[in-house]
Amino acid sequence: MKALGSVAAMTAAAILAAGCGGGPAGGGGKISDGKVVLAVLNDQSAIYADLSGKGSVEAVKMAVADYKAKYGDKAVAKTVEVLSADHQNKPDIANSKAQELYDRQRADIILDVPSSAAALAVANQAKTKKKLFMDIGAATTELEGAQCNKYTFHYGYNTYMLAYGTGDTVTKDGAKNWYIVYPDYAFGQDMQKSFTAAVKGAGGTIVKADPTPYPNDNFSTFLLKAPTLNPKPQVIGAMQAGGDLVNLVKQYNEYKLRDKGIGLAVGLMFITDIHSLGPDALAGTKFTEPWYWNADQQNRAWADKFQAKTGKRPSFAHAANYSAATQYLEAVQRGGTDGSDDVVKQLEGHKFQDVFARNASIRAEDHLLLHDVSLAQVKPSSEVKEPWDYEKILSTIPADKAFQPASPACKL
Amino acid sequence: MILSRLAARPLLLALGLVAVLALPWLVYPPVAMDIVCWALFAIAVDLLLGFTGLLSFGHAAFWGSSAYVSGLIALHSGLPFPLAVLGGAAFAAVLAVPIGLLSVRLNGIYFAMVTLAFAQMVYFVVNQWRDLTGGENGLQGVPRELFGMDLSDPFIFYYVGLPLILLGMLVAWRIVRSPFGRVLVSIRDNPARAQALGYPVERYKLLAFVLSAALSGLAGGVFAISHGFASLHDVYWTTSGQAVMMVVLGGIGTLWGGTIGAALIVLLNDYLATAGFQEIGIVTGSIFVIIVLVFRRGVWGTARDLVQARVAARRRTTTRLRTAEE
Repeated sequence: MKALGSVAAMTAAAILAAGCGGGPAGGGGKISDGKVVLAVLNDQSAIYADLSGKGSVEAVKMAVADYKAKYGDKAVAKTVEVLSADHQNKPDIANSKAQELYDRQRADIILDVPSSAAALAVANQAKTKKKLFMDIGAATTELEGAQCNKYTFHYGYNTYMLAYGTGDTVTKDGAKNWYIVYPDYAFGQDMQKSFTAAVKGAGGTIVKADPTPYPNDNFSTFLLKAPTLNPKPQVIGAMQAGGDLVNLVKQYNEYKLRDKGIGLAVGLMFITDIHSLGPDALAGTKFTEPWYWNADQQNRAWADKFQAKTGKRPSFAHAANYSAATQYLEAVQRGGTDGSDDVVKQLEGHKFQDVFARNASIRAEDHLLLHDVSLAQVKPSSEVKEPWDYEKILSTIPADKAFQPASPACKL
Repeated sequence: MILSRLAARPLLLALGLVAVLALPWLVYPPVAMDIVCWALFAIAVDLLLGFTGLLSFGHAAFWGSSAYVSGLIALHSGLPFPLAVLGGAAFAAVLAVPIGLLSVRLNGIYFAMVTLAFAQMVYFVVNQWRDLTGGENGLQGVPRELFGMDLSDPFIFYYVGLPLILLGMLVAWRIVRSPFGRVLVSIRDNPARAQALGYPVERYKLLAFVLSAALSGLAGGVFAISHGFASLHDVYWTTSGQAVMMVVLGGIGTLWGGTIGAALIVLLNDYLATAGFQEIGIVTGSIFVIIVLVFRRGVWGTARDLVQARVAARRRTTTRLRTAEE
């Protein structure tokens, strides 16, 4: 029995093992193993595959190519390798793969890692192995809260940013009375808390906040209740994500609540959601967008390059992976080494501008990337001029407002 | 002939032990640990499915709840991790009593559905009780404590954690070969007859259910300590499904078949993670279909049948020769 198992094991080992031995590479030397290795660990086959997936691997390769083109012979990192692994949205696979990437494939940094359990597990590995980790795909604020560590950076977005941007801006634009529906689990509860704070801070009122079952496909009880509340809410704040959000929006449209003067603002929405549902299903919905490909000329130029490689327009996650890889390589360039401690020193407090991150800085206290984000609205299909042209940018939320203050729970 | 049959069993056992001990040299040690944890889990499921005739679709409840309980004990008490794991396994056994009481009266698909429903309830509780479990963030930062030893190297941890898994496998093996195990098989084959012979069928089934849950818990606890966290994925129904799948691939009712199934699936998952296929579901799905078509009784079951058929054929020839001589 086990003889058979070990045959399978040996084959697998032969395929997998790309070298042996371990031991973290601290500071000191210039470039460990003579090369810089960037690894993208994300979901390439389950629910986050479109949002990030292989596109992010391509984006990181673009960052490497641009770095080499920019510095040429002066590049500190002469050889740069890009690896990728698919964790299939399973935290235990993410955990094993992260160890393997750091130990055996000699990865100097791991990028992306969507969904919070996987991200926090990889953050713990980064801490143990003393190697860098820049998380883009996960939204949990724990990464820069109680579970932060010296080698982990949170890059792009989080639940606070999503909730605060929409809650604050939409309230200031005149929607004072809110009805909030949120899925009753950790993500939804966090969103609801941040959202309520944002609305109240902007002078609005929460008429009512209702938890909904999760997952759920029937939101009629909640939607039909909205017009009967006193005072009548001007906007429903929906904290649902993924399939639940799709159902909620469809039912919102069926009940024609917009015609009854009740708008819809959403906590978490990605351009890939709009693409798969069609813009009409979501038209008019307001949400916070970390980055939009058609917001200005600079974004558009990068999106054109991305499209030439992948055949589609980039999501924020693709651009964020590009930016994170670029900033990492720049830090290696500035410090002259890929030693983890030196790179961390270079990144902490660094201020910069790039195609993804505007007015950006990496906060030294908790390693959260602060950057300008936007309030966006979904266009109706009549205004869509080209494929993926789904969003209208309503306003910019400045970097210092968009993210939460550093949490005292984080001790690096 | 008789000698070789007598020697076959210890030989197989020795081969198995060598394979288990050599595993972290052949595959990446954390993956090796995953294989043996899942192997024990599959054996525990087979105890119920293959030897008692009950298809549980809710064993993630025991694997997962033990993962959380072991994690919580290790995180908050600082006890050595084997004690934490045993605590988790004990919790799984206790949890299995009410679930088993309510479900062992049912058979076939009804039993599967009821166990699935209970497992979903456990999932719900774990997801909601975020102060204790961390909700969807999972229970993170579980330490590996053992008298101050440094167990951060997964290679070393494999050998330290392995005895717990082997203990579980030994227990499963003893159960199957005990008089109690024989009664379970008779219940599987003909419950009415077992009842008529005076065996309290439901009590036997309940005991088998609890034992299976405890072994699943043992595996789940080691898994959580090995990874350093417990996540919602551990109590999700796909985890139950994966364990059943391993048993089917290895061979139902073979006990050791589960180890083959576990090795196949874990290695496949691990390999596919870096293989660059976009449609992992299609790849794994087709591999399963092929294996099930080629090995009707699972890999282990089919191999065993082949060997037995050959032995029987040789015996027939020798007897024929002997009769001819006479």
